[in-house]
Amino acid sequence: MLGFVLLGVFNGAVIAASRAINGRLAIDLGAFKASFWNHIVGFVFLTVIMLAIASMKFDIPTNAPVLAYMGGIFGALFVTLNSYVLPRLGVTKTVLLVIGGQMITGVLLDVRNSKSVGAALAQFVGVGLILLGVYVARTSKAKE
Amino acid sequence: MKGRSADWILAVAGGALLAVMIHYNSVLAKHSSPVMASWMAHGIGTLGALVLVVAGARIFRPKGPNPMPAKAPGWAYLGGIPGAFTVWLAAVTVNSKLGLSGTLALMLVGQVIFGILSDRFGLFGVPKRRFVLKDLFVVLAVLSGSAILIFFRS
Repeated sequence: MLGFVLLGVFNGAVIAASRAINGRLAIDLGAFKASFWNHIVGFVFLTVIMLAIASMKFDIPTNAPVLAYMGGIFGALFVTLNSYVLPRLGVTKTVLLVIGGQMITGVLLDVRNSKSVGAALAQFVGVGLILLGVYVARTSKAKE
Repeated sequence: MKGRSADWILAVAGGALLAVMIHYNSVLAKHSSPVMASWMAHGIGTLGALVLVVAGARIFRPKGPNPMPAKAPGWAYLGGIPGAFTVWLAAVTVNSKLGLSGTLALMLVGQVIFGILSDRFGLFGVPKRRFVLKDLFVVLAVLSGSAILIFFRS
């Protein structure tokens, strides 16, 4: 369990780095092209990794639900939106709003599988605390 | 002001897209592997982004030259490498006991830590900024909220 927790935290750092880098590229090339570069570089990088690790095969799954293949489309739209909004709203507000949308949607998607009312309630309390923290972060930085 | 509230809505929609993206990529990973899911997401995402580049050039006509042209440094093209890890790692953790909310909460913790570090050391050209007491409250609120999400699951 601890291993998964550490992986999750590490992933947060990785996504923040990716966002900062893509935001910088978008200033020069615009949001659409920044999203394109993000995806093609990631695709080439993963192809190299899969070729390098002999046990990884290019077995394309054919039995997944159609929406499962749409993740890339959502990703392309996300990187575009994020890169477009970031220079207009500033980093702090963008992060605040993206996190808000992300946590609420995550809980809504997870709550469908919740087994008890208590667990669902706890999720909403957790999201509330996170949003409170992010709100304070916003007011803290707004004074500068 | 109108354009501004549109920006707010777009940012929230971006967050929702991120959660939906991670959810469906992880469904794909269940039918294959985390690396395969990230590879396919980036392949399909490349095509999707290409369509957006073409469509975007038609819908959003550029209003003259870029007002503040700033040539991007070489590293700005490499955002896809951490991006590749995002889908890969998320597919591993979403399909563990952590679930989607737990994964998103922990990613939030990582984003906060990275934010503090990049402010402190001025990573990626961000202006340097000291860590103040209020920031500690932010970290505690985000961490305890994340802990609730992870440990009070059914």
